[in-house]
Amino acid sequence: MNNGTKIVTIPETATIEDIKDEIRDVKTFYMSLDNKELDKNFKIKSGQFIMCTIFGAGEFAVSLPPSPENDRFHLTVRKVGSVTDALHELKAGDKVGIRGPFGNGFPFEEIKGKNIIYVAGGIGLIPLRSSIVHVLQHKKEFGRVLVLHGARTPDDLMYKENLKEWQSFPGFETYITVDVGTPGWTGEVGFVHTLFDKANLPVENTVAFVCGPPVMFNTVIGELLKRGLRDDCIISTLERHMKCGVGKCQHCAIGRTLVCTDGPVYTYRQIKTLGEQI
Amino acid sequence: MKQQPGVCTFCGTGCGHFMKVTGTAVERVFPSQNHPVSKGRLCVRGWNIHELLNTAQTINRPLIKKNGQFAIASYEEAIALLVDTLKALPPTAIGFLASPRSTNEEQFLLMKLARAVFKTNTISLSSDAGHRGCLNVLSRGTGMAGMTGSLDEICKAEFLLVAGSDITKQNPIVGSEIHLAAQAGAKIVTIDSRRTQIAKLSNTFLQITPGALKLAVAGIAKCVVQDGLIDSDFVRSSTKGFEEFSASLTQLSEQEITAKTGISIEEFKLVAKALSQAKTAMAFFSSGISGLDEDTISYIFNLFAMTGKIGKEGCGVNPITGINNLQGGYDMGCAPDLLSGFQSLSDQAAVKKFNTAWGVELNITPGRSVSELLAESPGQLKALVVIDHDEGLVRDAAALQKVDFIAYISTYKNKFMDHAHMVLPAARYIEEDGTFTSTDRRVQLSVKKREPQNDVLPGWKLYARIAEKAGAKWSYAGPAEVMDEISRLTPTYAKLSYKKLASTFGGVQWPCDEKNPDGTRRLDIKAAGSSISFAKVSGAFAVPAAGKDFPYLLMIGKAQDFWHQNNLMRKTFIPMREYNATLLDYPEGYVEIAPDTAKALQVRNQWQVKVVSPYGEMLLAVKISADVKPHAAYVPYFARDIIAKALTGHPEIFKQGEDATIPIRIEKV
Amino acid sequence: MYLIKKNDILQIAKALSTEYQVYGPVIEPGSGQTFFEKVEDVSEINLSAPIPAAPPKHIVFPQADRILSYRYAGGNAPVEMKPDFKETPKALFGLRSCDLTGLQCLDRFFLGQEFVDEVYRSLRKKMFIVTNTCVVPFKYCFCVCTDSGPAAEEGYDLNLTDIGDNFLIEAGSAKGKALCEKLQLAKAADKDLAEKNRLVDKSITLFESFSTESKAWVSRVMNRITTGFAKEEVWEYVGDQCFECGACSFVCPSCSCFNVVDTATGDCSCDRLRTWDSCSYEGYSRMAGGHNPRKPVEDRRNKRFFCKLSYSQSKKYLRPGCVGCGRCDWVCPGDIGMPNVVKYIRRETTSRDQL
Repeated sequence: MNNGTKIVTIPETATIEDIKDEIRDVKTFYMSLDNKELDKNFKIKSGQFIMCTIFGAGEFAVSLPPSPENDRFHLTVRKVGSVTDALHELKAGDKVGIRGPFGNGFPFEEIKGKNIIYVAGGIGLIPLRSSIVHVLQHKKEFGRVLVLHGARTPDDLMYKENLKEWQSFPGFETYITVDVGTPGWTGEVGFVHTLFDKANLPVENTVAFVCGPPVMFNTVIGELLKRGLRDDCIISTLERHMKCGVGKCQHCAIGRTLVCTDGPVYTYRQIKTLGEQI
Repeated sequence: MKQQPGVCTFCGTGCGHFMKVTGTAVERVFPSQNHPVSKGRLCVRGWNIHELLNTAQTINRPLIKKNGQFAIASYEEAIALLVDTLKALPPTAIGFLASPRSTNEEQFLLMKLARAVFKTNTISLSSDAGHRGCLNVLSRGTGMAGMTGSLDEICKAEFLLVAGSDITKQNPIVGSEIHLAAQAGAKIVTIDSRRTQIAKLSNTFLQITPGALKLAVAGIAKCVVQDGLIDSDFVRSSTKGFEEFSASLTQLSEQEITAKTGISIEEFKLVAKALSQAKTAMAFFSSGISGLDEDTISYIFNLFAMTGKIGKEGCGVNPITGINNLQGGYDMGCAPDLLSGFQSLSDQAAVKKFNTAWGVELNITPGRSVSELLAESPGQLKALVVIDHDEGLVRDAAALQKVDFIAYISTYKNKFMDHAHMVLPAARYIEEDGTFTSTDRRVQLSVKKREPQNDVLPGWKLYARIAEKAGAKWSYAGPAEVMDEISRLTPTYAKLSYKKLASTFGGVQWPCDEKNPDGTRRLDIKAAGSSISFAKVSGAFAVPAAGKDFPYLLMIGKAQDFWHQNNLMRKTFIPMREYNATLLDYPEGYVEIAPDTAKALQVRNQWQVKVVSPYGEMLLAVKISADVKPHAAYVPYFARDIIAKALTGHPEIFKQGEDATIPIRIEKV
Repeated sequence: MYLIKKNDILQIAKALSTEYQVYGPVIEPGSGQTFFEKVEDVSEINLSAPIPAAPPKHIVFPQADRILSYRYAGGNAPVEMKPDFKETPKALFGLRSCDLTGLQCLDRFFLGQEFVDEVYRSLRKKMFIVTNTCVVPFKYCFCVCTDSGPAAEEGYDLNLTDIGDNFLIEAGSAKGKALCEKLQLAKAADKDLAEKNRLVDKSITLFESFSTESKAWVSRVMNRITTGFAKEEVWEYVGDQCFECGACSFVCPSCSCFNVVDTATGDCSCDRLRTWDSCSYEGYSRMAGGHNPRKPVEDRRNKRFFCKLSYSQSKKYLRPGCVGCGRCDWVCPGDIGMPNVVKYIRRETTSRDQL
């Protein structure tokens, strides 16, 4: 699956090269590993995550938004606690620690030839970006590709430049909506599933990737199932409190699985049998 | 083998533990299986005490504030500054705020320092209202200023009354003993306005209207009288003053009781019957900063006296201290009007004894408590010495501004340091021998387990250095000699010594004297040949009523894993994380309301609401919970600064402690 | 199989102490409590001591363990990282079979999954294990219900059994055998083994009635938990009694959840500590930002027993996660140790009596 180097226990340092403001409280950090040999061999799979150390503050698990191929390595992180707060304080040139990549990742080879739907609520677009860009790089090998992104307000739309790019990319169908419009907003208003009719969602030979807050997740899944998508064709990535990333600390246990080693990517069919809240 | 026995120093339960110390690090903590109280258990705080003891967030050097910044000073310099400042002031302008966390030896010497060296009687602990009220009632009623029962007899009680205390969160191991007694067949009755864990574990839970606890207890007492459930033999042979109490109950009508408590008289009758039919019974309520008021405790005491449940095995009226050595603090005389062992400053023989022993002439005019002075006569205090304190005092920030000189003596850094003009470090409790008196009068020796870091002085030595600088000659070789002095001057501690404590696993309960050389497990009326006096009660049952403008009754209490101001918890990892679970979800505090209330107000979890009282208003997040009744609302203790700020017109609210209630309305924002 | 005079048994520990740091059961004199501790002198070891209050888990999985220390100067300055994996040869002398089983669970979990835990591996390396058969069970023991005692069957280098005047010594590895040969121990006869077997059979009859009653129930409860037939109301009943102290996890020989924190040791230096954690804590599964998928306490309680007693979780240990030592029962303020929970599930207890 992953032939590159894995950093398991002791973090390797990386240097932040550029920082980009995305939306309120969300920034993207471009970085590369200081050990150049390692950096060359550091191969990721879309849907995987890394453990990122902010020196002096601690470590956190974060999903990987870059495509596995020809994409600059970066993390997109929202400020939600003391460690991510500390990351947001860092500047270009500062160092962080990295372990990973960990987790199973999104299917790629297996879904070639199919229609792909991405449904992302808010910052749920971050983990999906990796797969979207990867599919874009191989568009010819896929059927219809739809990106449906919903956010609270126009200011909360993620990866605005990417969205623009995807909107004009041949063969990509990109739909955007916001819960609450602001003056000047001419686009759609409504929750993300209200786009389904407009997008004329494919059902046959289709795989849907869904990521977003728990409330949105449940509504979207319900809609997709209603339209006839099979539960094993709906794919999501789960988030849990994590400490080790390698299946030992057990914080991310969900049902009989561990999100770090058995996940973070699950089909909805698997999720249903885990017997826990999402 | 480096497992050393010790005492957990968080709450007043006094659990036993073992510690493994390697070099300077506390590697591990483990419960003591054969300890008479804790019997192999610890709570989340106790299991993680090593995290606190290993923290780097300690005060390591004397500090003196110069131009608004702390600068490192030598002990000589700092002690000289302290002594010179205090010596230049009249004694009435000097106050000492003792800490319920200090050892008995430290508290005794601080008391001696205040009274004998600096001639002031303004020395107090911070919980005048709570625990002192308990001790007043118990001392007047039985002659013993402490729990009349014993924690190791909980398993012998057939009936257990928990009155308004979230005991499984505040003193988990006491809560555990109560739960285990029930598992073995005893009956638990909990009276509270909020459904706490112990309420869920009870056989009967009386969920009363907020503020009606006293009336509920009086209601049970009335049912005892009406239904002829009095233990007449006991009342006749062993008590005084029953008639007066009984007469005071006749004015109470069943209608009033039911209307104000929200509980039917039948339920009170059931409780009264179960209490009087049980051979043994104990009452538990928390004391300390948020304890019950004296009048409520008096009713509880009288209820247990009339049913003959005081002074026998498996019986007792048991205040539960929230901090490890609060009981010890009063035992050591850290109160404006008391010498050690609850001896009054007005007791001439006692004063004479101290004068002779200390070679001084004590000032016998009682002082005032520091918090009272700060609240009522700001500006009178010119210098204040504060020992290891929660940040709660910051609440009095405005009054503290008016104090010219504040010295803070503590182990751990906290926000209170900002208010101090100088800071002196004190060694951690595992760095020196010392004794602690837990809530059931159990004096336990905690032995030194490592050397103090950075040559920090232990408390007793620091106080001796201060006394010496002030011209007094104290010549203790160590804390054991301080205990010897305590035992000479304190009748309840008369036969206690380090030798005895070191050889008695699990500690010795006072009174430990000529008559009871091995200590006293519980008050024993028969053996003592003494009698119990019923407490005087007010007969007043003003219960704040909700009205049209303020339809909800707000109660103030504790939230899970919030422990005092959490200054100590914040220096750990696991307990801090648990505390954050509450605080991060509701950083500005929360108001707990019933699902029906939420529906009526059309609000959801974590939405902001405005809580308005006749005195002010505050913004809080909503937490919907079936644990509170409709028409009631609950704000956890940790939002207390916010409450104090918002409801300034109502400062006495904290004096009502656990039963504090304010009528409010809640507005959607 | 070898024999050694009872009074000479510590000679084996003595021999081990030249090569290994020796750990064994030690009685703390003041309280009479047994600890399994590193000894300075093997004479401290007491093989007839009751089951240690704490399992020897801390030897391979310390309560707070520094795994890394680092210094950072900020900006572009390189970060100095020092991994701290401790590797010392250790001999565990007089381990009870439940605790050996617990150690085996930890081995399978830490070493036998997708990733090998390097911290655990270095602590666990170079270990000599001497087990001690329980010829008398202790008050809380129920290893007969969980297939982990009273005598160890595999996984030891030497197993000792007190058979009267002598200890019967069984070698379970080449290392163990070599030591016996080196010490020129007398060979045991078949009758000595027969005596051991008789004592083990007798020990089994001495267990408290709970164990004998529950023998089959533990496996039936496993079935119920796995298939979801344990009632929700029972979990609520159990959850109400949980004091959230974490003790059950801390004293469990097979519990291995840990927390990781970076704690400042100076202005620009930190230690990364790995500390014991418990799934009964509310903060355990809480994510930054506040979402907590396991907020209700009964949910968390349920998880612990699910972890110990479900088939799917047992796969990671290749056996049930519970080893029947009974320690969770000793330390639980809520009286919901494993035996009681098993009892509640089997009786479907959901409420308590009113007055």
